[in-house]
Amino acid sequence: MEQKNILEIKDLHFSYNKGDEILKGLNFSLDDRTTAIIGQNGAGKTTFVKLLKGLLRPTCGSILFEGKDISTMTVAQLARHIGMVFQNPNDQIFKNRVLDEVMYGPLKIGMSETVAKEKSMAALELVGLSGFEDKNPYDLGLSSRKLVAIASIIAMDTKVIIFDEPTIAQDFYGKERIKSVIRKLRSEGVTVITIIHDMDFVADVFERVIVFAKGGVLLDGSAKDVFADEAILKEAYLEQPNVTKLCQNLGYEEVFLNTDEFVTYWRKKTG
Amino acid sequence: MAMSTEHSKIIVENLKYKYLATDFLALDGISFSVEQGEFIGIIGKNESGKSTLCQAIAGLVPNFHKGAYGGRILIDGLEVKNVELSELCKKVGIVFQNPFNQVTGSKLTVYEEIAFGLENTGIEKQEMIRRIDDAMELLDIAKYKDRNPFDLSGGQMQRMAIASIIAMQPEVIVLDEPTSQLDPQGREEVYQAVQKLSKKGITIFMVEHNMEKIASYSDRVLLLDGGRLIDFDTPQRIFSREDLDTYGVEVPAFTRICKELNLKNPGTGCYPVTLEEAYDLLSKEKREM
Amino acid sequence: MKSISLYEEKGSLLNKLAPESKILYIIIALLLPVIMGSRWVSIGFIAVSFFLLLISKVLRKTVPILSISGFVLLTVVIIQGIFRAGNVTPVFAVGPVSFYKEGLMFAFEIVVNVLNILLSFCVLILTAKPSDIVENFVRKGFSPRFGYVFISVFQIVPQMTETMSTITDAQRSRGMETEGNLLVRIKAFGPLISPVVMSSLINTRERALALEVRGFNARNKKTFLNDEKKCGADKYIQLGMLAMLIAGIVWRVAGWR
Repeated sequence: MEQKNILEIKDLHFSYNKGDEILKGLNFSLDDRTTAIIGQNGAGKTTFVKLLKGLLRPTCGSILFEGKDISTMTVAQLARHIGMVFQNPNDQIFKNRVLDEVMYGPLKIGMSETVAKEKSMAALELVGLSGFEDKNPYDLGLSSRKLVAIASIIAMDTKVIIFDEPTIAQDFYGKERIKSVIRKLRSEGVTVITIIHDMDFVADVFERVIVFAKGGVLLDGSAKDVFADEAILKEAYLEQPNVTKLCQNLGYEEVFLNTDEFVTYWRKKTG
Repeated sequence: MAMSTEHSKIIVENLKYKYLATDFLALDGISFSVEQGEFIGIIGKNESGKSTLCQAIAGLVPNFHKGAYGGRILIDGLEVKNVELSELCKKVGIVFQNPFNQVTGSKLTVYEEIAFGLENTGIEKQEMIRRIDDAMELLDIAKYKDRNPFDLSGGQMQRMAIASIIAMQPEVIVLDEPTSQLDPQGREEVYQAVQKLSKKGITIFMVEHNMEKIASYSDRVLLLDGGRLIDFDTPQRIFSREDLDTYGVEVPAFTRICKELNLKNPGTGCYPVTLEEAYDLLSKEKREM
Repeated sequence: MKSISLYEEKGSLLNKLAPESKILYIIIALLLPVIMGSRWVSIGFIAVSFFLLLISKVLRKTVPILSISGFVLLTVVIIQGIFRAGNVTPVFAVGPVSFYKEGLMFAFEIVVNVLNILLSFCVLILTAKPSDIVENFVRKGFSPRFGYVFISVFQIVPQMTETMSTITDAQRSRGMETEGNLLVRIKAFGPLISPVVMSSLINTRERALALEVRGFNARNKKTFLNDEKKCGADKYIQLGMLAMLIAGIVWRVAGWR
């Protein structure tokens, strides 16, 4: 299958202080596959996505968005193309009404009032918050507030959406909701990138996995290939998804990412 | 398991609680009892009352968060509501989700940070040093003792928060989603440390969304929904329930597989809940094939 | 770790002294000149402060403090020197502008006082750990709560700046402009300030809980991990300074002047 590269990362270096490099020359491209970036705290994941958003500028190397160097764009201009949901919704919410909060971004990037409202209502529906338009975001629980933050980025209708730890503080329902949001975005052709610690969630939803360690890429491939490699994951202080652990313990050659795959395989074998 | 509630470590009787600003019961008639040294997992969907229950055990409800309170919690026969927080904290410790907000901000080193609670409760210097060293050893953070508390990673910071509580030598420790902000390595470190405490006879209450962890570490699991206690039993029995999705609870991956394949553990009549259990059962099945 | 404390451990004599001795020093450095009514006393204390900072190896750290206030003081000298009401005796002229003796003397008085205040405070701030200052006060019966507020400022404020920058990032990511003219900046105020307020409220509440369960409000007598900061010389130094203060008062009251 031919993949169209949305973002190209070329020899990307970054450091706050000289001699203390956080990213040490990244080279890869991102296409419309859902991509999870995993790695230990401090591996450089957050720094990388901040560079993608133009919040930090590379000390060396470049990032191309649809062929155009993003260093030529301001953060505000880039906001039309690349959206990012921050980890803590409290870091962004400032309006008294859920709908106003969601519409803020779309209006800022130049959508008309009508379009912004339309997009915002659709985004709220997608995250399951229809009917909450007039509520005060701070009257909602933290997990719903996070969904408000997610909707406020989706409504901006960007080509790329980055999630920073979307599953923190989410229960089963919340996680299922976020899974369906990501699948929906994927089907609409949005490139979804996430930083995440929850391996079972990654195995369930993401097509491609990039393992960061010490400012470089340790492993990059399909979720199946990456999670097959127990040794490398250990080296990056990560772990395999639970189902993958089980099938490796059972001595299977094949790698399973979720319970359904395992059950289907088992049934086929036992007839 | 038949247990005499009379000598139980913790007895909760018909506990009810309503926060001031709300018009519903956050806890609605909860009763259970726990023995010393048990590792209790608390599960349920968001806003099912898990955190409120934690804070009630630690006395923060109703002595910090005011509200309508009914029923009682007894720890070693002592009624929690009637004990001042500054006294109760010597018996019950609590660790919160965000490690960052548990740093006092008034100490320059990890060592001094752990001393904070001991200074407040008037522990003599020699005893203080002994306890801090023990707690740091147990949580494996002795190597950071001269670091600034804010310079630690999330996992290290959370272990420091636990050490700060451990040093006060409580008999019960409540942990409210202590690992949700940590990477897999940090999460495992915290679990290992908490298990050590449990083995030393400290009673543990642990709120967690990761069911695989709850299944493999808990002796018994408390299932809450809408402020009510739905069930309180072994992980095997809890996760073998057929109605868990109505309570917004995910079943451990291993249990889900065995449920699908209808494989029960012949010994317990329950589905397996841990990797080891599922492995034993499935590998036996595999050989018989 | 970014800390806003200026203290640095140098193992110097002043590092070893009790914070109270240094506070007493500030008091007499400010009071004695007033009591004795002579700017020469102030100048004397400035010299002493310089000497103390020099032997504590922290004189360099006063440079940024002095340069900022130096700028302000320079404008005082210029303005008073040229425009002060009652200026009659020209001293010198720069081009068409004349400086007058009366204004310059007045400005000199201000400069001496400000320098004396700044340098004597530097003696305390640059050589005493904030937590030692607070602990010694709490030992003497001050409220630990008050002490906590004072001391936590040094760590919590830098943390808040960090939260502030995350919030700025989050809002810029949604297309908010932060750079540009005054109007742009005023517009950015709302989206920035209310998350800051909300986050700090939430954080403060959580931190209050965390403090509570660590016996923050315990009524028993507090103990301390660190030994009280003092050395043998403290007693004599403090007595000496008190003697100076009393001598100053007696000298003034007896009207020897």
